[in-house]
Amino acid sequence: MLRQLAALPLFLIFLLPLALSLALILPTIAEAAAFKALLNHPQLWGAAGLTLFTGLISTVLSLICALMIIAGRIDKPPQAGAMLALPHLSLAIGLSLLIMPAGLLARIIALPFGWTSPPMWATTQDRYGLALTAALVLKETPFLVWAFASLLNRDDLRQAFRGQSAVARSLGRGPASVFLRIIAPQLLNRTVWPLVAVLAYSLTVVDMAIVIGPTQPPTLAQIIWTDLNDAEPAIEARGAAGVLVLSTVILLLLWVVGLSVRLGRPYSRKWLSGPPDTGHRKISFLTQTWGLWGLFYSAIVILLLFQSASGLWPFPDLLPESLTFSAWEKLLSDGRPLLTSFLLALGTAMTALAASVVWFEGMRPSGDKIMLWLAAFLLCLPSLLIGLGQYRLFLALGITGTALAMFLAHVLPVVAYVFIMLQGPYRGFDQRWQTTAAGLGQRRVAFLRQIKWPMLKAPILAAFAVGFAVSIAQYVPAQLAAAGRYSTLPIEAVTLSSGGNRALVAAYGAALMALPLIVFLLAQWLSRPRWRAR
Amino acid sequence: MLSLRDVSLALQGKALIKAFSLDIAAGEIVTVMGPSGSGKSSLLSFIGGDLDEAFTAQGEILLHGERLNDVPPERRGIARLFQDDLLFPHMTVGENLLFAVPRMPQDERVAAMMAALETAELKGFENRPPHTLSGGQRSRVALMRALLARPRAILLDEPFSKLDRELRVSIRGFTHDHIVKRQIPALLVTHDLGDAPLGGRILKLTAAGEVIDV
Repeated sequence: MLRQLAALPLFLIFLLPLALSLALILPTIAEAAAFKALLNHPQLWGAAGLTLFTGLISTVLSLICALMIIAGRIDKPPQAGAMLALPHLSLAIGLSLLIMPAGLLARIIALPFGWTSPPMWATTQDRYGLALTAALVLKETPFLVWAFASLLNRDDLRQAFRGQSAVARSLGRGPASVFLRIIAPQLLNRTVWPLVAVLAYSLTVVDMAIVIGPTQPPTLAQIIWTDLNDAEPAIEARGAAGVLVLSTVILLLLWVVGLSVRLGRPYSRKWLSGPPDTGHRKISFLTQTWGLWGLFYSAIVILLLFQSASGLWPFPDLLPESLTFSAWEKLLSDGRPLLTSFLLALGTAMTALAASVVWFEGMRPSGDKIMLWLAAFLLCLPSLLIGLGQYRLFLALGITGTALAMFLAHVLPVVAYVFIMLQGPYRGFDQRWQTTAAGLGQRRVAFLRQIKWPMLKAPILAAFAVGFAVSIAQYVPAQLAAAGRYSTLPIEAVTLSSGGNRALVAAYGAALMALPLIVFLLAQWLSRPRWRAR
Repeated sequence: MLSLRDVSLALQGKALIKAFSLDIAAGEIVTVMGPSGSGKSSLLSFIGGDLDEAFTAQGEILLHGERLNDVPPERRGIARLFQDDLLFPHMTVGENLLFAVPRMPQDERVAAMMAALETAELKGFENRPPHTLSGGQRSRVALMRALLARPRAILLDEPFSKLDRELRVSIRGFTHDHIVKRQIPALLVTHDLGDAPLGGRILKLTAAGEVIDV
């Protein structure tokens, strides 16, 4: 009985809302008129093409970049954690400020070329979605590098790869050939979920697309998002139909990719064991550029902070005429979005952490599989789909626009991340410590408080920090659940991005980035070993 | 012939192996023994061409008179066997073997692979994934894979240490026989004197870094 009770918190905040949300989307299937209206949408086909282009190209490019970065660093996998802390929206705002016609890059070029006004180039919100594609590649590559690096940080895998590489090279294969034939296939086999998540995210992203994506036509996700926010029921229903169509497109794409992999397997297998090639060159091109990625992320952070404190900044001046904190004063004077985001992140991360720990303490490890699968499944679902399902659930419960709805909307993805992050370290805890403590007469609560949790301090705090960051970045579910009664940092940032106050947009982008960063740094500081602190 | 000329090895400035020279004739298996951390495996890594950057090595490696020091591992023609069989888990047994076969017409490559399977008494195993094989079968595949690359020398880094006693004897004999039959010079690192071929030369590395021919 106690065991079942341990599953109750996760059941209430994750499993039940997820199941009900998905179930409440199903009635949309029967709404033929909504699908017909969607098919008659004048921008549908252009948007669909653009979505496929930006989503597929950015995923493929991110994968190629990540593989090439990791290729030369098998023994010393790169650290990408800090880059993940930068929210997608902050990166989109930062990149936009960098490359827009009156942005920093144009000002740098303007100097030698003698420009006096911004060039007439559509460098952001371009019709082909190139800026959006670039933003996605810049954000998703570090995520995939992190996914590969977490595998390479496993001692068993690193040792195996090192040995297999030595053997393959002694059999006449060069470094490039060894990576492509021996290491990369094994890495890809183990990172299917992150790859699916990247593809699903790239095809359905809303907040980044609004800031930096194309407008004429926009992406499919933007069209759907506009419809979902419409007060007219028929238009809202068209948006719901769009969510289902977009989700089906993702499923179809995954099926096509899976089928292609299956059909191509005989050829790829033949190639894997094919005769020795000339791949003796080192793969070093993008491996060497990893430092540049760090530099770019630092530049984005600095630009956000600098722009947020800029006063009048006429083109083509490299520096603003004055520095002012008026944007920050404005952000803080109506501090509700900031406070709401902070409290939600704090509350959801703590709840997710507590619920996960209760699960691990009460449930058998064999039960983790289903939770891990569901968490990974949730992360691969389009946020539009989950957001819509939750919205309908909150409507049915009559809690739309309440604090409870905001909490439930935020806690779902937070639980998924916290559970995935914590499962390995928590289950990997050596049970002999418990036996030893019991032998010394320690009760279970004392053991947890004095031994286990202090020893697992680092992964617990890291999971909390990730959960906090995930909550802060939520846009689609937050906007739908809030129903105009609440505002959060991402909601404000996206709303402001269409206006002309660059300093204020930058301030929101910076605040969005600063909160998780502070929590990450705090978690890292609190996780430091005691002996080093003395 | 595999020759080492005045080879020495140091780890972060501390001498591990003092300068020594060695000639290994075709078909000869020279055994290297010594305490843990004495640099046995690092010596093999130096010869194989992938010595960790933490080590510094001096001296020349010559194979049939060709100086190998600056040649990348894949062009040295030196095959290696480790404690673990290190069969590639994403390839079948047949593909693992094909991986090692040099460039030649595909039907000849497949014929070479099938012949190797027959030699290893594993006919019909070509489509099996490596994890479905027993320890002894995997060891035989690993040796066949190494031999299919037609190596000019072979380095054995405790390849029998993870096998049980009975299997160890049979795999050891199988390995020695093939090396001798194909006239490949070999260097074997082991902790177990029983792994050394009968009457073969044995080098002992001392804690002081001396190399003694026993």
